Amino acid sequence: MSYGVRERLLAPDNRMRVVGVAAVAIVLVAAPFVLGGFQTSLLARTLVFALFATAFNLLYGYTGLLSFGHAMFVAASGYTVAKIVQQVAPALGIESIFGGAALMVVWILALVIGTAMAALLAVFIGYLSVQLEEIYFAMITLSFSMAIWVIVNQDIIGSALAALGIGGGTFTNGSDGLTFRLGEVDLFGLEFRLVDIADPIAFYLLTLLVVAIGMYALYRVINSPFGTTCQAIRENPERARALGIDTQFHSWMTFIISGAFSGLAGAMLVMLKTGILPSDAFWTSSATPVVMTVIGGPYAFLGPAVGAFTYEYLRWIIRQYPLLEEFWEFSFGFLLLIVVLFFDNGVYGGIQRLREYVSDRQE
Amino acid sequence: MSDDRTQQDSTSSDGTSRGLNRRHFLAAAGTGATAAVAGCTGLDGGGGSDTIKIGGVYLLSGIAQALGTSSANAAEVAVKQINENGGINGKDIEIEVRDHGEDPQAQIRSLAQEFNADVMIGLTSSGVTLASAPTIESLGVPFTLTDIGTPYITEPDTESYGNYFESDSGRAAFTPNMFRTNSNTSHMTYAIAKYVADNYGESRVANMGPDYAYGQQCWDYFKAYSEGLGMNHEYVTSEFPSLGASDMTPQINSVLSADPDLLFTSFWAGDATTFISQAAEQGLFEEVDDVFDTIGADPTVYEALGDTTPEGIHMSGWYWPTAYDNENNQAFLDAYREEFQDDDTTPSIPGFTGGSTYAAIYMYKKAIEAAGGTNPEDVISELEGITIDNDPRGQTTIKEDTHQATAPCVIGETSFDADVPYDGAGLVNTQTYTLTRERSLELLDGSGLGPGL
Repeated sequence: MSYGVRERLLAPDNRMRVVGVAAVAIVLVAAPFVLGGFQTSLLARTLVFALFATAFNLLYGYTGLLSFGHAMFVAASGYTVAKIVQQVAPALGIESIFGGAALMVVWILALVIGTAMAALLAVFIGYLSVQLEEIYFAMITLSFSMAIWVIVNQDIIGSALAALGIGGGTFTNGSDGLTFRLGEVDLFGLEFRLVDIADPIAFYLLTLLVVAIGMYALYRVINSPFGTTCQAIRENPERARALGIDTQFHSWMTFIISGAFSGLAGAMLVMLKTGILPSDAFWTSSATPVVMTVIGGPYAFLGPAVGAFTYEYLRWIIRQYPLLEEFWEFSFGFLLLIVVLFFDNGVYGGIQRLREYVSDRQE
Repeated sequence: MSDDRTQQDSTSSDGTSRGLNRRHFLAAAGTGATAAVAGCTGLDGGGGSDTIKIGGVYLLSGIAQALGTSSANAAEVAVKQINENGGINGKDIEIEVRDHGEDPQAQIRSLAQEFNADVMIGLTSSGVTLASAPTIESLGVPFTLTDIGTPYITEPDTESYGNYFESDSGRAAFTPNMFRTNSNTSHMTYAIAKYVADNYGESRVANMGPDYAYGQQCWDYFKAYSEGLGMNHEYVTSEFPSLGASDMTPQINSVLSADPDLLFTSFWAGDATTFISQAAEQGLFEEVDDVFDTIGADPTVYEALGDTTPEGIHMSGWYWPTAYDNENNQAFLDAYREEFQDDDTTPSIPGFTGGSTYAAIYMYKKAIEAAGGTNPEDVISELEGITIDNDPRGQTTIKEDTHQATAPCVIGETSFDADVPYDGAGLVNTQTYTLTRERSLELLDGSGLGPGL
């Protein structure tokens, strides 16, 4: 092992962290074999949202830019994935080339191109958006995402193509969205259904892999000089500029990274739902990562992930009780109020305070 | 992994005279936005083997609340009746109905996998139905649609109409474990096209409908059926106010200025109420010879409109309480009245989804008894071709190849003389229409639209 990896892993500072990560990893890998079908897919969905919220938080908690339009990346990537699965893959004849493994190839292709489309969208929209700051930044991202919602909901692309004589006037299929079926995979004799709603173990493990890679990549970004610069911009953009940082350019790059990882999460989400609707691009969908991040705590790397877990499982608990479900916005709002009033950095901050309190008592 | 430095910063105030620093601004903006959302997402915003479990998913909140609630009510009336008469194979039925919520597929999965529903009923949105079909198919539970318009979901001919799940223009989305007891958009638009052909002949026709797939689909099917019936109507204008619009006056004005003889509309629930009250205000009903509506004929709509409903226009639905003269319908109405006559919030007559939902429960009873249990495959094969004896709309049959019931739809004339238990209009001179797949294929030939029958 080079660069003293072993020494670094075993250093007292890191030991707890390594043990913690290993414990979480073991629990997450073992979970689908213990949980039923419904809980496994809920966990898969939660993991995807953890990645989505963390990607969002790169802009919000770390760079100080509140984007209110992150659903547009889910939409860009999601519609791309749906198009690839529905039409592009059959047209390319992937099935005949790769046989039983075809669906895995389609999956990887959709994931890569979906993420790339989200990144591409972020390049353009990011460039225009980072010209503004604070509430104006939130408003411009909201406007762009609503414009994209209108485009997919009214199927403007389809009408435009039809005007050019291509296709029958449908592309995003308006308010019905795009829905697809994912079939069987036969990988070297290992047969499984890619997205088996009844028992989604295979897709869960793939999700875990993708989310783990995504989270690690974001962790590296945040703990690099690039990430430190982001925090400098958040703390004081004037001072950052005085230090010679091109804050606009840096924010733009951060926007693109955030958009790309949101797109990655979006691609996984759309696979899990086997379809995408225009409402996935609506502003309420953009609000989901905001809510998760605020609940979890924006000033810690794992805050948004903790928020995603809190959000999804609290929602699940509320669904179990018809009375709470009927007023679920109220139940949720009440929780949010508690978090905002009594925790200075969301649930994650609360957990940390509790830990400090406990260790103080022990001393 | 937390960011300790910034945390300390946030707790120690910087003490400068700036009232609002960046961090506080961001926190406030994020929280404010979050709070706003918590209040707004509502529209898109809920086993043992000794009972038979039925899971239901309907829109119980927002724009279609009245509609979903009346379906749930009809289902519960049927369940109560069956349980009082010995249940199914001696077992009681347990029913749980939940709201679509903001994630209908999660509700469907939860009912199938956590509540362990043996069979399911539901859905109040065609879009949700099409998007959930692969989920429902994977779950394998028999699922009966009682409130769904889109013909696609019962159209198996992927060769002629394209597979819905494999293209953006496919129109055949048949799913093996899904069935439908209500008459669909194909029936409804045929009935209106036929009524117009028989009573008015070729006319200047305008359209208004909600701005989403359903509104567009109704208009497309109406035009296709009219053409099939040999009517060369002149289509003067077509307006689509957004779903749940609070102001339809611009669209009503365009219709008025196009000067049509007849107006075709596809509004339902809250939209039907908004349209009728605003059109009445602008005098639309005096300017045209007749107005038609596909599925707006519901007691909750007429009750909300009070004395505003214009008399003599033609509205249709999947069921109207006084349109059928048979003992099953009478039994349904009696049971319904008994259940809800003391309830101030619910009309004591079933809504337009009542007949199809009530029928679905009795259909399941018959299929489970015939299958000797709740094994999904056995129940599904019993459902294919089953005749629903207790259907309040008269006997109907589930077609083996399409899974669509041979259900009639009803057109009636609005009137204040109708026998209704609330202050408002109802339907009189009702007529029922049925349509076969063969006849539909003939009429739709060349339009590219599938019968879904």
